[in-house]
Amino acid sequence: MSAAALSAPPHNAKVHGRGSAQSGRARASVIAALQVHSVPPRALVLSLLAMAAAIASTVLWPWALLDHQMLASVLALLPALLLAHYRKWTRVALLLGLGAVVLCTLHLASNYFRLSFESPYVLVVAPYLAIALGAGWFGEIRRYKAELRVAQLQLIQTEKLDSLGRMAAGIAHEVKNPLMTILTGVKVLSKRLANADETTRTLLADMTAAVGRADKIISGLLSYSRERELDLGQVDLNATIDASLLLVKHELEKERIQIVKDLDSSLPKLQLDQFKIQQVFVNLLTNAVHAMGQDGEIDIRTSLATMADGAYVGHRHEDRFTPQERVVIVQIDDSGPGIPEENLGKVFDPFFTTKPTGIGTGLGLSVCQQIIEMHGGAIEIGNRAEGGARVTIFFKIETREYSDAEATNSTRG
Amino acid sequence: MQKRRILLVDDEVGITRALALYLQENGDCEVRVENAGSRALETAHEFRPDLIFLDLVMPDADGSALAAAIKSDPKLNATPIIFLTALVSQRETGGSAKQIGGHPFLAKPVDPDIVLSYIDKYAGNHVGR
Repeated sequence: MSAAALSAPPHNAKVHGRGSAQSGRARASVIAALQVHSVPPRALVLSLLAMAAAIASTVLWPWALLDHQMLASVLALLPALLLAHYRKWTRVALLLGLGAVVLCTLHLASNYFRLSFESPYVLVVAPYLAIALGAGWFGEIRRYKAELRVAQLQLIQTEKLDSLGRMAAGIAHEVKNPLMTILTGVKVLSKRLANADETTRTLLADMTAAVGRADKIISGLLSYSRERELDLGQVDLNATIDASLLLVKHELEKERIQIVKDLDSSLPKLQLDQFKIQQVFVNLLTNAVHAMGQDGEIDIRTSLATMADGAYVGHRHEDRFTPQERVVIVQIDDSGPGIPEENLGKVFDPFFTTKPTGIGTGLGLSVCQQIIEMHGGAIEIGNRAEGGARVTIFFKIETREYSDAEATNSTRG
Repeated sequence: MQKRRILLVDDEVGITRALALYLQENGDCEVRVENAGSRALETAHEFRPDLIFLDLVMPDADGSALAAAIKSDPKLNATPIIFLTALVSQRETGGSAKQIGGHPFLAKPVDPDIVLSYIDKYAGNHVGR
């Protein structure tokens, strides 16, 4: 596949903030949140400048209006507000506003000092520009409020996961011991009652299965809290996908699932923890199989791409990719029913599952996300227009492990 | 055939009671239970087991330190040790490939039949006495 330019990934503000359960990551998020809360210095200067200009224009504008430019200014109001509504035009609106102040000042100065550069056109433009300034100012405020909100949500989420991780290890130990007592006891009874009536044997089998279910939940919780260290090596991603397919071969064959692969053979080797990445693919493939049932189709694609604008792209601390960064993308499409719209925002939450009791622990996708984020990558899930779900994973080509210390000390942006 | 001598060291009385019963009734084993980690070395000396199952976390003893003490004891150092622990999940044990301090380990809760298969594997060739 060629290096296609990637369009903006669907917006999912939660994704890059959903950190691991590591205390270091939590600290990093606190720092990120505080940075946004205190408004970055560049933005602060810009805002103060805009505020000063707005105050100045408020004083100057009524004077300018005395020259009967009311209609022009009212007509100017609408496009100025429209301009400010789109975030990326906020700064243009601000510049126009600053221009207004300059023009108003020139006009008034020329009147006052009887200078020769006075022009009626100045007054047609000036009110329009002054309004743009005000709108731009509000746009900036709104932008920072939105960023603050995102940072706060990320912080809350990270803290929740952090305490969950700490709790998990403790709970696991306290629960696994009694489970062992129950399981061994039931096994002793099962052997002793091998000739008992069927009801008794069914009861004992149910009890054994129940212990197995409880253990599965606890073990999932344990490994979720453990996903904190990477064993990085130079890994062939396509080969890892093939190895993962082999691991779920039995399930794929059982459900007669067809696999369509389009793997880009020119991919560079990536710095990955092969075992953990394999765990991600196995989880995703198993999910797809469970979602589709029999006779489905799974399409797997790998490709090189360039990150365009999107939720994880930028120069801020928490942005995973810089604009135009080269990445490797894996897409896994299934032909299942897709994910209900109301669940899309919850699929990565720990313990969220739609599978029947005993089938899913609700930790699979949380673990996947955690592992991908530890590699500095990103994962998202959405529905395809033609039906079925699509998982997209973005891998950094130059991966560095998001260790506690590094996450805390990172000064990107 | 002589019975395999198995020492179970675990502070959980429920586990040792049930597991001892299972191994005795289904595995042709002679089982000794020690619920106090601090007395495990003493009990091992007295019982001279073919295989020791050792809990990793006990209130009065650290399983890995205990294993090191057993391994440095001239009379016990040939006795195989298998850790039985609630600190890891079954998936993390990776069969018998992974080890803690050179000893294989099993994750609780473990099916007692798997415990028996470990006894076959590790205590079968051991001549401890």
